[in-house]
Amino acid sequence: MTLQAYISALAPEIVLVIGACITLMMGVAKSSSIRAMIAPCALAALVLSLASAAIVGIVTNAPPGLRVTQLSQYVRMIALGVGALVLLVNWHLPRDGERGEFFSMILFTLCGVCLTSVANDLVLLFFALELVSVPTYVLVALSRDDSRASEATVKYFFLGALSAALMAYGFSFLYGCAGSTTLIGPNGTGIVGYFLANQSVGSFAVLGLLISFVGLFFKIAAVPFHVYAPDVYEGAASPVTGLLGFLPKLAGFVAIIQIMDACNWHLPASISWMFWFVAAATMTVGNVLALLQTNVKRILAYSSISHTGYMMIGLLVGPGAGGGPMRDGVAAMLFYIGVYGLMNLGIFAVISTLAVKDEPLEELADLSGLSRRHPGAAAALAICAFSLMGFPPTAGFLGKVYIFSSAFSLPASHEFAQPLVVLAVIGVLNSAIGAVYYLRIASACYVGDDAPSTERIGGSPLRVAAIVCSAAMLILFIWPAGLVHRAGRATAEMMMHQQQTRSVELVRHEDVGLKAESRQIKTPAAE
Amino acid sequence: MSENNIHDCSMLILLLPLLGAVVAIVLRQFRLGDHSHWPVIFGVGGAAFFALNILWMVLGAEVGQRSVQSVIYTWISTGAASSWFNFEFLVDPLSAMMLVTVTFVSTLVVIYARDYMRHDDHPERGYERFFAFLALFVFSMCTLVLAGNFLLLYMGWELVGLCSYLLIGFYYNKPSAAAAAKKAFLVNRIGDFGFGLGILLIYWTFGCLDYASVFHMIEEGVAAGGQALPEGRLAMIALLLLCGAVGKSAQLPLYVWLPDAMEGPTPVSALIHAATMVTAGVYMVARCGAIFTASPAVMTVVAIIGAATALFAATIALVQNDMKRVLAYSTVSQLGYMFLGLGVYAAGSAVFHLFTHAFFKALLFLSAGSVMHAMGGIIDMRKFGGLRKVLPWTYRFCLLGALALAGFPFFSGFFSKDEIIHHAFNQNFWLGMVGSVTAVMTAFYTFRMIFMTFHGPERIPEGVHAHESGKWILFPLGVLSIGAVFAGLVQVPGEKVNHFLEPAIHQFHAAHGLLLGAAGHAVAHGFWAEYGLMIISGGLAILAIGVAYLLHVRWEWLPGLLADVAPKTHRVLYNKYYVDEAYDAAVVKPLRKSGRICFGIDQYFVDGLVFMVTAVPRLLGAMLRSLQGGAMQSYGLTMVTGLAIIVLLVLLA
Repeated sequence: MTLQAYISALAPEIVLVIGACITLMMGVAKSSSIRAMIAPCALAALVLSLASAAIVGIVTNAPPGLRVTQLSQYVRMIALGVGALVLLVNWHLPRDGERGEFFSMILFTLCGVCLTSVANDLVLLFFALELVSVPTYVLVALSRDDSRASEATVKYFFLGALSAALMAYGFSFLYGCAGSTTLIGPNGTGIVGYFLANQSVGSFAVLGLLISFVGLFFKIAAVPFHVYAPDVYEGAASPVTGLLGFLPKLAGFVAIIQIMDACNWHLPASISWMFWFVAAATMTVGNVLALLQTNVKRILAYSSISHTGYMMIGLLVGPGAGGGPMRDGVAAMLFYIGVYGLMNLGIFAVISTLAVKDEPLEELADLSGLSRRHPGAAAALAICAFSLMGFPPTAGFLGKVYIFSSAFSLPASHEFAQPLVVLAVIGVLNSAIGAVYYLRIASACYVGDDAPSTERIGGSPLRVAAIVCSAAMLILFIWPAGLVHRAGRATAEMMMHQQQTRSVELVRHEDVGLKAESRQIKTPAAE
Repeated sequence: MSENNIHDCSMLILLLPLLGAVVAIVLRQFRLGDHSHWPVIFGVGGAAFFALNILWMVLGAEVGQRSVQSVIYTWISTGAASSWFNFEFLVDPLSAMMLVTVTFVSTLVVIYARDYMRHDDHPERGYERFFAFLALFVFSMCTLVLAGNFLLLYMGWELVGLCSYLLIGFYYNKPSAAAAAKKAFLVNRIGDFGFGLGILLIYWTFGCLDYASVFHMIEEGVAAGGQALPEGRLAMIALLLLCGAVGKSAQLPLYVWLPDAMEGPTPVSALIHAATMVTAGVYMVARCGAIFTASPAVMTVVAIIGAATALFAATIALVQNDMKRVLAYSTVSQLGYMFLGLGVYAAGSAVFHLFTHAFFKALLFLSAGSVMHAMGGIIDMRKFGGLRKVLPWTYRFCLLGALALAGFPFFSGFFSKDEIIHHAFNQNFWLGMVGSVTAVMTAFYTFRMIFMTFHGPERIPEGVHAHESGKWILFPLGVLSIGAVFAGLVQVPGEKVNHFLEPAIHQFHAAHGLLLGAAGHAVAHGFWAEYGLMIISGGLAILAIGVAYLLHVRWEWLPGLLADVAPKTHRVLYNKYYVDEAYDAAVVKPLRKSGRICFGIDQYFVDGLVFMVTAVPRLLGAMLRSLQGGAMQSYGLTMVTGLAIIVLLVLLA
């Protein structure tokens, strides 16, 4: 493969890395006017990267180890789109001497997320996921100059290392089974070939999948691998927490989708049940523990855990092409995570604009009566809280509607149809529990007594980000089609390549038994 | 008619006012709140321009191609592969005419409000909020009119309700305004509940919500999945939709909110509670002709509601002393005419009356506002009089509006009202009689108002520096009075409006068995049948104006004497038939009581139950919390234990 092929497949990532290196070097410049340009420079790199993703588009003949799909385009779009807002939220956070490192770390993280979505090789996938994680450890440490941040960093780093080790271990099992690290090779080679050739895979492969998923559960903060989240979220400064709640989660979910795609979305029943229980536990534990918190950031940490649970429903449903997100769990999940990124970042952005006695706002009580002194901040906060709760007219409502109703879309003959309905019911009950603490946030702003010591801080980039996020919640409710169709395209492509590889396999092995697939594959409708 | 142009124009009609609203609010941030009328004037004026453009395009198209349904984008997937709720617009003669009416009157009202909301050139408190809400209202109303499906219609319907609520309660620290806003919202809620149910029933029956499919299926007589329509289903849908129309268009028995809505600023009364929003019910019934005309019984109900409301409200208006209240009851009464027109299958005439009414009623309200502005906020007609010297231009414009409302020959109201009465007589003698009697009363109370305000000896409340309003106020009045005088010419001669609207409302004519053009009325009925009624109505209107003149200018002692002669009648009318009191006793108080009982149950029983239910998650949380101790080693342990348990379970299962 020529260098050109690599460049065209990885253009957005390459731009991000170049941008990260430049910002890193600008950080050590003597002239303060150069250092002041660091954040704009990072933003410019991000915009260029997004533009190059749009220009290059889908690459059909990507070099080995890479696969630039509709999914990659979707992930790049939401990661870089929300990433731009993340930059705005963090605009004034780092101290002067650390700006270079700080913004280059954000760019590296974003690069890792994008790389996760184009990786077609277990080694590259692992590398990409670590590229997401390692800079976030640094970001937590840089975000604040106190012992809580240090504690959070240490916890995050060691537990993250543990999960990375598990993930690598699981990946090595998969390699052992399939004899290849490629996820989806040409003509049904690679791991996908192994899963196609073996209707019922051995326990070795099941174990491989299991341990890989467990390693990834850390990234998406699913129970019982969520324990780090509340402490780390609380320890980091609010702008960084907004990033932590979204980017590692997005990368984790994308990696799970990649692996499930390599399994042809036909998981061994035991793995499906494992997902089922983990999803149910994640929703419940997240919501229930959030009820007990009084610290806003801890509430939101648990809330972020519970949202992981909702999104796992979509993964279990799997892609169903052409039916719109109510028939297509993965499209619903992809829509949800995009919306989640905005509403989560929005709420942290608003919190970052508030301070009590020069200390960042932490306690719920300090939000009390906010609407009377800072009506704009209160409105933005309430919109994001209502969206997280899943209340119309916000995009969060559509996200929940899509996810939960996709759980009802499997044909009744499917063995997992019934359990999924139960899971959706658990999800709905959980969002009712969740309403309590989201309403607590919103009502504190509007009906609480005054807590006059709360004041506004932060510059205009932060405010712009808060306004954009909360406005996006309303706009995406009125006009979700742009996002929904792109997500639908990503899953339609998965269905298409499944059929292609399957037919290749059928020809090669003349294995008619495959026709007795339990999952019904619908023909993807033309967009 | 180019679909792309229609598409672009309709988007602009929606977006320009919305943009105006946003800019008006943003200006405040830059301390430019004083100028927040400019973005709204440009936004709404731009919408009016594009509305005219749409009307022009519709007029230019072939008659068969005047209806364009354009999908802006797909909104929400409903699950089935091909079924999405779309953001779609329907542009046809009916919506084009409504759009022009709404945006044109809105533009004038916004211009008017620039001066009205200022005192001695200082903007009132909440100046930018007022303009932002007005622009938001125009956006909502245009959504309602342009909607191509029932979902979007419902959205617009609720949005205009919200704007109405916000604007009635504009002076929210005045208790009566806050109460009026609440009342309007709650009464509308009753109607909207039925309306919402009606839309759900449509979806349940037909499996879709867009106008084209629903009306097509009704024509074919099929329900979702090709099954036959259940007996009486359409009538049920029509009655539920009618509920919403009765609430929004202030018909009996849900009219009570409209007179109170006059607590809002006068431009709002003129625009929302006279010219545009309250006609939404009429528009909706005309739009859903396919549903309503399917059942003659429902049409009769519509006609009877309309006739009863027209008469009832007119009698109340006879004795009111608050200038705006007279006009409010008159609005209720005129809306009754429109419903009467719809009920007797004359949808074209009803929409025509809607069109002319928008001009002259907005004109009258704005003139009343001008008087109120000059009188320092006083609007009780007993406190002033003989103002025609003080407010010469307001007087002239108001007189033109009054002549139109009274049905003075050859003014716009004369043609439109007469047509409805004519059709009512064709349908049923008594409906026609009610229409005629109401017309006489209308002429009387309108001129009672004019004479009490502008004629007789000059009386000005003490401490008020009365002055004629400025050009920002007089200009809209002038334009509207041109409309009030000449708007009739769009219909007469030759029933041009009816022909124009034919593609949108043909079900009414089809159902009534009278197709336009087959037999012109003049030919079919002869001179007297056609013009006799016109001459009689015109004569009666002039007579009623004469009586009003005698009673209130010549023999001023007579009204008092009349009130003394029939004190009970006067008291009943003056107190508006005690309807508010009756509702209070029959509905509000029992509801309050049951509310208190429910509150008790809620507090002691349900709360206890909820507490017990919520105790479960909290208990669970307290148990799980122990896992979250904070020590990193224990976190690692939790993770590894979790992994071990999962692996064991999966491998053993």
